[in-house]
Amino acid sequence: MRPQPPSGTPAPVCGMSAGGCDGAADWPADVSDGSSLPAVELPRKRKGDMEERNSTDCKMEDDLSRSEEEDQQVKIKCFREPHRQIEKRRRDKMNNLIDELSAMIPACQPMVQKPDKLTVLRKAVQHLKALKVGTSSAFADSTNKPSILPQDDFRQLLLRAADGFMLVVSCDRAKILFISESVSKILNFSLLELTGQSLFDFIHPKDINKVKEQLSSWEYPQEHMIDAATGLQVQTDAPIKPTHLSSGAWRSFFCRMKYSRVAGKQEEKHQLPCTAKKKDTSRYCTLHCTGYMRSCPSSQLDSEGDAETPSLSCLVMLCRPLPHGSPEPPKHINAKPSAFVTRCAIDGKFTFVEQQATTVIGYLPQEVLGTSCYEYFHQDDLQHLAEKHRQVLRSKEKIETQCYKFKTKYGSYVSLQSQWFSFTNPWTKEVEFIVSSNRVMSRGPGHIKDEEAGRLKAMQEEIPIIPSLSNGVGTMIYAGSIGTQIANELIDSYRVNSSPSSGASSPFGSTNEKCPLVSPPISTSTAAIGASVGCTKVRHSQASSGGGAASSSSQPDSRTAAGASSATADSSGQVSQLDLDGMVVPALSSFSSDEAAMAVIMSLLETEVNVGQPGDYEDLHWPF
Amino acid sequence: MTADKEKRRAISREAARRRRRVESEVFEDLSRLLPLQQSVRDHLDKPSVIRLTLSYIRMHTLLTGKTGTKAEASHKVKCGQVTDGQMVRHEFNGGCGEEEEKEKYDADASEETNMYLRILEGFLMVLSTEGDMIYLSENVSKYMGLTQAELMGHNIFEFSHPCDHEELRNNLRVTAVWSGEKRDFVMRIKSALTHRGRSANLKSATWKVLHCQGRSKVCVAPSSVSCLLLTCQPLPLSHTLLSTQTFTSQHSMDMRFTYCDQRMTLLLGYSTEELLGRSIYDLCHTRDTNCLTKNHFNLCFKSQSVSGRYRMLVRGGGYVWVESHSAVIPNAHSSKSRPGANQPLCILCVTYVLRCVCGLWFKATFTVSTHFIELYLSK
Repeated sequence: MRPQPPSGTPAPVCGMSAGGCDGAADWPADVSDGSSLPAVELPRKRKGDMEERNSTDCKMEDDLSRSEEEDQQVKIKCFREPHRQIEKRRRDKMNNLIDELSAMIPACQPMVQKPDKLTVLRKAVQHLKALKVGTSSAFADSTNKPSILPQDDFRQLLLRAADGFMLVVSCDRAKILFISESVSKILNFSLLELTGQSLFDFIHPKDINKVKEQLSSWEYPQEHMIDAATGLQVQTDAPIKPTHLSSGAWRSFFCRMKYSRVAGKQEEKHQLPCTAKKKDTSRYCTLHCTGYMRSCPSSQLDSEGDAETPSLSCLVMLCRPLPHGSPEPPKHINAKPSAFVTRCAIDGKFTFVEQQATTVIGYLPQEVLGTSCYEYFHQDDLQHLAEKHRQVLRSKEKIETQCYKFKTKYGSYVSLQSQWFSFTNPWTKEVEFIVSSNRVMSRGPGHIKDEEAGRLKAMQEEIPIIPSLSNGVGTMIYAGSIGTQIANELIDSYRVNSSPSSGASSPFGSTNEKCPLVSPPISTSTAAIGASVGCTKVRHSQASSGGGAASSSSQPDSRTAAGASSATADSSGQVSQLDLDGMVVPALSSFSSDEAAMAVIMSLLETEVNVGQPGDYEDLHWPF
Repeated sequence: MTADKEKRRAISREAARRRRRVESEVFEDLSRLLPLQQSVRDHLDKPSVIRLTLSYIRMHTLLTGKTGTKAEASHKVKCGQVTDGQMVRHEFNGGCGEEEEKEKYDADASEETNMYLRILEGFLMVLSTEGDMIYLSENVSKYMGLTQAELMGHNIFEFSHPCDHEELRNNLRVTAVWSGEKRDFVMRIKSALTHRGRSANLKSATWKVLHCQGRSKVCVAPSSVSCLLLTCQPLPLSHTLLSTQTFTSQHSMDMRFTYCDQRMTLLLGYSTEELLGRSIYDLCHTRDTNCLTKNHFNLCFKSQSVSGRYRMLVRGGGYVWVESHSAVIPNAHSSKSRPGANQPLCILCVTYVLRCVCGLWFKATFTVSTHFIELYLSK
């Protein structure tokens, strides 16, 4: 085997190495090349058992011939040093395992001294034997394939982990043929209530068609599969036969199923699907259903004599409720009607206004979209808000404003206080918009007129960027330009930062530091495809006007193309600053499967982008 | 003198050999008690035997142990008894003799388990709070290229991408109070599978992206075992059947649209031209910005992601709840002139519409137009 590269780092881009030792048989080969001995050590740090596992003579009987300390003396002397280390590591690992084992065995725990290895092992044997006594023979059944877990337990565990239930429905009438007991914890219905019923009785009325389609889609010609290589749909022009689909066709869809808040009230629930006395107040939870079509011999399934079709298609699925949040998305996320969320572009023009804002500001969302928020701010607040605006564009933190007045549709002002947060695109690292959470401070009848010229003049001196304001009318025209100007400052600073050399004077000092031109210690030999922050050029320079995707001029820098299937790589570890637009992968044609393509992509993106920079994304409010 | 020394050495060597022999015998006894196939058993080394023994004991504790919360108590699995997983039995129960029936049951049970695994399209993993892979379902070899026996007992941190370790550590924190709380994250693990799906050496392993979902589980008695129960699924997009409530879209790496299929137009009302160059963030409800950001991050650094639920604005008013499954793929549309050339990356999203249009009074921010488009939703 090739000795590992002396740098001791994991091997290259795609052929990620976990370190490699081939066991005792190959040691002589490595030893002959003395320089590689230390290198053999490092990558094997974590290999522990694996290295032994890989060796050819790791069987139990051969342990007798395995070297121990006393026997080392008979080996070649140049083995000794690294060999001792390897042995020590092996012993430590074994001791750790023995300790863990003794911790798990009740018989070992009350012991005063730490039991020795042999005792622990013997106790373990006894313990296993004792455990077996309590279990059924299915566990240790030698006729069948033995498994660590009994089959039933495994299925239970799986359903518990998946937090879902198994569902088998017949394709022709959506009769529930089987449903696992775990459904009772998810939907609060018992098996009795569900088995044999029609699935459609439990599906949200608006999803019934969707489910019908999934059950019997061979009737519908619009089947599409996606080809992940091209991202395009593959049209199936040929007529689809049921037999073709009844074996193994995959299904994945979402639907809403009824659930009961209180378990056990059978009669009521039984009536719900049939009678429609009152409005159906059932609650639904959204499930992700995945599974495949299967044909079952109908004679054993349907006792009602539905033996017209010789083989019945059914859909076998795992249904999992969506993981995030409550079963139903909350209707009103913000219970308080006096708070609302808005979003505006970096120049302050509204791009999103939540519906409940209308009760506060009087305007309908569509009336304010596209207008600058500065048009609604009172002059007294312009300076402070402009400052906050500048601040939020340059900060990753949430910025709190002071109380300010917002002009409503009716001319009066309402007192608000907001929390602003700028959103930075994870890929381009450019600020794209500002999210504002707004709270009403008071709804007092403040009718503050904006005709005080004296005030305007004072403002004029403090904020030189506002052109001279001669009369009240002109206020509105120029207020909007404040936002635009602040935005332009930002855009200019992006342009300035397009090359690292000019980074010194940039207000975005923090972002420049993240430019990974110096590769962090871990994987140096991999291609440094970093989402290099300040090193990208401004690609969307018309952020405020919301222009289309502009293709930037690509830097013809040297790029290390990732060799997909080759395990060897450029060990000199070319660190090159790549233009994001020009990030490349080898042509797909060299791959034989989607998975291979994915492997390449992953290997490209695996690199040291955020290694050493864990703090960057702390304030992105991830749920954990 | 030296002869004496030699003699002593010989004696001590003999003693050592005897000790090792005894030890090996105990190891053999132990391995024989483990429910493993003979072929697997033959290839186990000593540390592996201990690892597997530990796993066995831990799983046994987990399955039979009392749990911390009341809710969990009802899940208590009766070890070894036949429980509700009798789907296959219902289907195929014939009038067999008892022994035959038992054999048949075993075979059926095994088949049923296989079906469960097949439906899951992934494998089951039980992780201790330190990250030890206490248990892995047998089909893990399909995904990682290494067998259950080779992996069980090892630590997940040895097999996962270093950049994901932080996230992993956060997810592994389980306290007794929060038994049963959910987990949902994407991680990259080493896979020793070759392109053709054969198992290769770990040295030439590549990364595989897995979507891990599950919950924590805490057992209080007899011994405290806290762990995570997770299903680990790769995120394939290629064989997704698109229903009429599902559409695909393609984006540049900054999540601006480069393509969307006609279903999107039908479902949301936007034409492709309107969308090109627009950011997906503009198209979605502001309160879901965090959800989208996390999704975007997963795509940038792990190349695949499941978004969770978020709202997409409908042209003309209102929004729909959707969930997107996305992956980074090479952009097939460009550089056709040089077939062997390198291709830039783009993001492919498959988006499922979960609910019909909500909040029709709510105006889309995307187009500040005043007319409403009649939305055509599927049958």
